[in-house]
Amino acid sequence: MAEITYRQALHDGLREELLRDENVFLLGEEIAVFEGSYKITAGLLKEFGPKRVVDTPIAENGFVGMATGAAMLGLRPIVEIMTINFIVLAMDEIVNHAAKIYAMFGGQCPIPLVIRTPGGGGQQLAATHSQNLEVWFAHVPGLKVVAPSTPADAKGLLRTSVRDNNPVIFLENLALYNTKGEAPTDGYMVPIGQAKVTKEGTDLTVLSYSRMAAVALDVARRMEQENQLSIEVVDLRSLRPLDQETILNSVRKTNRAIVFEEDWRSFGIGAEIAALLQEEAFDDLDAPVKRVASLEVPLPYSKPLELATLTGAKQLVDAIKELAPRRSRHLSVSPTLLP
Amino acid sequence: MSEVNMPRLSDTMQEGTVARWLKKPGDEIKKGDILAEIETDKATMDLEAYEAGTLQQIMVQEGETVPIGQVVALIGTGAAVPQPAQPAPAKTGADGAGTAPVPAPVERPPAAETSAQSKEPATIESGERGAIKASPLARRMAEEHDIDLSRVQGTGPGGRIVRDDIEDVLEQHGAPPAAPAAAPKPTAPPEPVPIPAAPPGAPPPETEIVKLSRVQMLIARRLTESKQTIPHFYVSSEVDMTDALALRQTLNASAGEDSVKVTVNDLIVKACALALEKFPEVNSTIKDDQLIKYKHINVGIAVDVPSGLVVPVIRDTNSKGVRTIAREAKALIAKARDNKLAPVDLEGGTFSVSNLGMMDASTFIAVINPPQAAILAIASTRKQFVPVDGQPVIRDLMAMTLSADHRILYGATVARFLQEVKRLLQNPYTLLG
Repeated sequence: MAEITYRQALHDGLREELLRDENVFLLGEEIAVFEGSYKITAGLLKEFGPKRVVDTPIAENGFVGMATGAAMLGLRPIVEIMTINFIVLAMDEIVNHAAKIYAMFGGQCPIPLVIRTPGGGGQQLAATHSQNLEVWFAHVPGLKVVAPSTPADAKGLLRTSVRDNNPVIFLENLALYNTKGEAPTDGYMVPIGQAKVTKEGTDLTVLSYSRMAAVALDVARRMEQENQLSIEVVDLRSLRPLDQETILNSVRKTNRAIVFEEDWRSFGIGAEIAALLQEEAFDDLDAPVKRVASLEVPLPYSKPLELATLTGAKQLVDAIKELAPRRSRHLSVSPTLLP
Repeated sequence: MSEVNMPRLSDTMQEGTVARWLKKPGDEIKKGDILAEIETDKATMDLEAYEAGTLQQIMVQEGETVPIGQVVALIGTGAAVPQPAQPAPAKTGADGAGTAPVPAPVERPPAAETSAQSKEPATIESGERGAIKASPLARRMAEEHDIDLSRVQGTGPGGRIVRDDIEDVLEQHGAPPAAPAAAPKPTAPPEPVPIPAAPPGAPPPETEIVKLSRVQMLIARRLTESKQTIPHFYVSSEVDMTDALALRQTLNASAGEDSVKVTVNDLIVKACALALEKFPEVNSTIKDDQLIKYKHINVGIAVDVPSGLVVPVIRDTNSKGVRTIAREAKALIAKARDNKLAPVDLEGGTFSVSNLGMMDASTFIAVINPPQAAILAIASTRKQFVPVDGQPVIRDLMAMTLSADHRILYGATVARFLQEVKRLLQNPYTLLG
């Protein structure tokens, strides 16, 4: 297996799908001539031509509507929305058209549409360019939402999403594009709706997705070495449908759970999972489910304020220390009391 | 109604034991009143009232240990003081002789101890189930193992009973801790744990069981750790104390009525401090692959107290005169005996002296106090004939043994250090410099 970046994994996935099926085409702002704001589509215009890699005007409602129509007629469009913040302009096309048409018209035409878009803050892009709005889509029946955290999952889930006959919101993250990881080169697929236990543990479970899943894994490994805490990490990978079985199995084993998410806390993914756990695993819970999320304010531009607002490894470490079961904590012995 | 919480009384404190309640329910409380004495991992300290009112209820009984922040008492307006432990007629008919039916709605009796400590089965009281806070998992485990939750001490947030607490109970009764919850059943069906019954392997009836105090448990753990992890070696020597004893007599005779008398131990402490100046490696510690030499010389003196042994520290011992050392040592010993040592009195020791000289000990070897590198044990001083110019002369000889950490100290260094202590004590005027 080769080690590649998340960006490269997406690029390779798109290219392979374009090669595999001539009905697949890409459209979005600046993706063709400029090769994408984040260079995911580099070289694809040259290889596949302007009919397969289409530059659009700055009009999200227009081109998402167009992609929906193309999907109705049998094409398999992959839309790039430059960042998730601009998706709000296309809400009507996504929520009222793409998500509904298959059900409303007797299953006459599926909508095999993929909307790729990066979320996430931390780049000093301020309040309107740093959001995590995935939960809006996870709320809507008729949509699927995936949020891979590694190059391998990005590639595997992209393949699956393109071949799925439902509209899929494919969540990326600005801070993940340069991260590296091993990705299989064969026709590897990751099923939608399947979470992954990325690290096994016994003291508590951290559930996360997208970039925070990568942070959680790093924190868990570090704390295991330093504090001898055994932390299980579940990368949700799909937000809709949610892999309830993997989540429940993990928490039934550890009895304690933290949901770690970059978005706001209220009505978030953590709220949904906490509700699931109390409904389905009440008698296995040894402590209330903790939610670790970002502060509920429009994200400030100032770097210190941005850092103070966004959640991250520190907030997760604090939560783990608070939630870890007493018998697993290391009693620190005072070196000063002399017998 | 305000809550009194277990305070954090030292940097390393994680939990505290209520040693003694000085107020009882119904007592009028003024701000600043001492409510109780709290035993921490280092010392016994006072729990002060921050609010005035009436002591409404004591939530943590004497001898019980709870984490920082847990409510130990309630202070209220005094309107309704609940009567202590009013046993109601047993609703379930259980008489405590065997297993209590478990989810029996019970209220935690105010005096309930954890099952292992209870000397006799407490009466089951009827009450509201809501009075017991337990996690759903703890409730399920208690049900599976037939454990009465009203007898379990909760250590979770706000005193909630959590899995750990149930596992504590199961372990105390020799039962295997519950299998991971996902597994349906352990291989052997779990025996119902008869809580009030004596644990298996209970001691014969002629013995008395004394629960170790927190400090005693800490001493036990740290001494085991010391002896098992530090490669000790020992060097002994005899010191002619005749001149030192004479000097001491002169010093004390010339001191006024009110001034503190200098003891032999004070002279030994001073001699050690001066010798440590010359041998900084003895005044050091090992950390991973580093030898760390302390800049300060803080000699600790072992003091026996009813609860075990404590080693209060005289700071910068080398720069203090023998009278100052005597005054500080006397004050520390008094504090130790009254259980009033503060954490600061016990911190920062770099070397220790343990003296059994007054108890007719002919030899004495001590265990090193981690993280220090050495400890000097002093045995009794005896009158002995020694040859002086071929003639037998009676002198006062004192045996001493230094225990040293062989990872950082070697025989020759330690022997030279001991030689220096001996030289100083045999030329006692050097101690007054």
